[in-house]
Amino acid sequence: MTMKNVLVVDDSATFRQLLCMGLSRVEVTSHASITEATDGQDALSKVQSGHFDLVLTDIRMPRLDGLEFVRQVRDGLGNRELPIIIISTKGEETDIELGMRIGASGYLTKPISMGRLKELVMTFLGE
Amino acid sequence: LIKRRLQMAQDFDEIMRLFSKSEDLLEMIRKGRAFTEELMCENERLRYRIVQIETEKIDLSDALGKEVDRLQVENVRMCQKLEFLDRRFKEVEAENKDFAQRYVEVEEHNESLANLYVASYRLHSTLDPVEVIECIKEVLINMVGSEEFSVFIVDDETNELMLAGYEGEIARRFEGRRVRFGEGIEGAVAESGKMLLPNGNDPSRDVCVCVPLRIKERVVGVIALYKLLPHKKRLTTLDFKLLELLAGHAATALVSSKLYAQTDRRLRTMEGVMSLLRER
Repeated sequence: MTMKNVLVVDDSATFRQLLCMGLSRVEVTSHASITEATDGQDALSKVQSGHFDLVLTDIRMPRLDGLEFVRQVRDGLGNRELPIIIISTKGEETDIELGMRIGASGYLTKPISMGRLKELVMTFLGE
Repeated sequence: LIKRRLQMAQDFDEIMRLFSKSEDLLEMIRKGRAFTEELMCENERLRYRIVQIETEKIDLSDALGKEVDRLQVENVRMCQKLEFLDRRFKEVEAENKDFAQRYVEVEEHNESLANLYVASYRLHSTLDPVEVIECIKEVLINMVGSEEFSVFIVDDETNELMLAGYEGEIARRFEGRRVRFGEGIEGAVAESGKMLLPNGNDPSRDVCVCVPLRIKERVVGVIALYKLLPHKKRLTTLDFKLLELLAGHAATALVSSKLYAQTDRRLRTMEGVMSLLRER
């Protein structure tokens, strides 16, 4: 099994740590290299300069929000293959539809269920 | 004479013809005898075969009877085994369901423990009171799923609650003012030191839960959740557990950071005094 590279984007250090812990409990990402970004801008530059197998991003962030980050990855960088999962406190139907329409591969609402996170991660990174 | 001779010749021919016929008849009789003997032989063989078959039939009937008896016994045994297996299958299925349920519960507990671990780790990783408050806010938003809430700390000198951090419009009303012990739900919780669910976990109404931040019996602050995120219908048992445990860690972290800040301030003052003294 090749080592996966995962990018975790959230302005909350607490939530980033929680996500890292969650990922360490999923088989495919238990030994993954996890990179953290504190906002969309930071994440965008990391996506441009590195290779990632999966991105988990929040929406509400300073400088560049999660939706704009997804849009720029899809349209600006033309990267349509990179799986991006949005994890946000915005959990209304319209929020989820908007996120998916912009180009997110999956959507989870906070507080996250580790089971759902595992399912989604396995969907995109499962062998 | 001629007549007689003719008659004799005719008789001779007749005799010869009759003789020939008798020969044929004799041959036929001989063949008939051989055939009859053959038939009798076959008859004898068949009769022997019938006796043989009847004996075999009796033997087979006995064997068949025994086999039927054996199969009936086997059938009863298999029925009992099937019943046992059916019962065992149901038991295993029930056990399986029980294990699945326990697995879900263990997963939930794991999740809760992971949340608590991260929350306590973050809370105790700083000695800056502002960062502690920020961390409590992050936990309330990301782990509990609260949209609007307030975090109060107790002013030891006046014994009043001061707003230290908040999210949303409902908590804004406390900005710039203090809450006395016993005043409102927040004050009542600070006074009693007990968690309060004023609306019975109904997130559609204000204040869905109010938790005291306690170190042993001393209340050092209060967390009040006014509104949950729209997609979160109500607080679960695990949320309450997390809140309870979080309250303990948050209280310790708040007091530690406050003490550290006070000590740091005193140290700086003393250093200032010392440097003044040295200059003189």
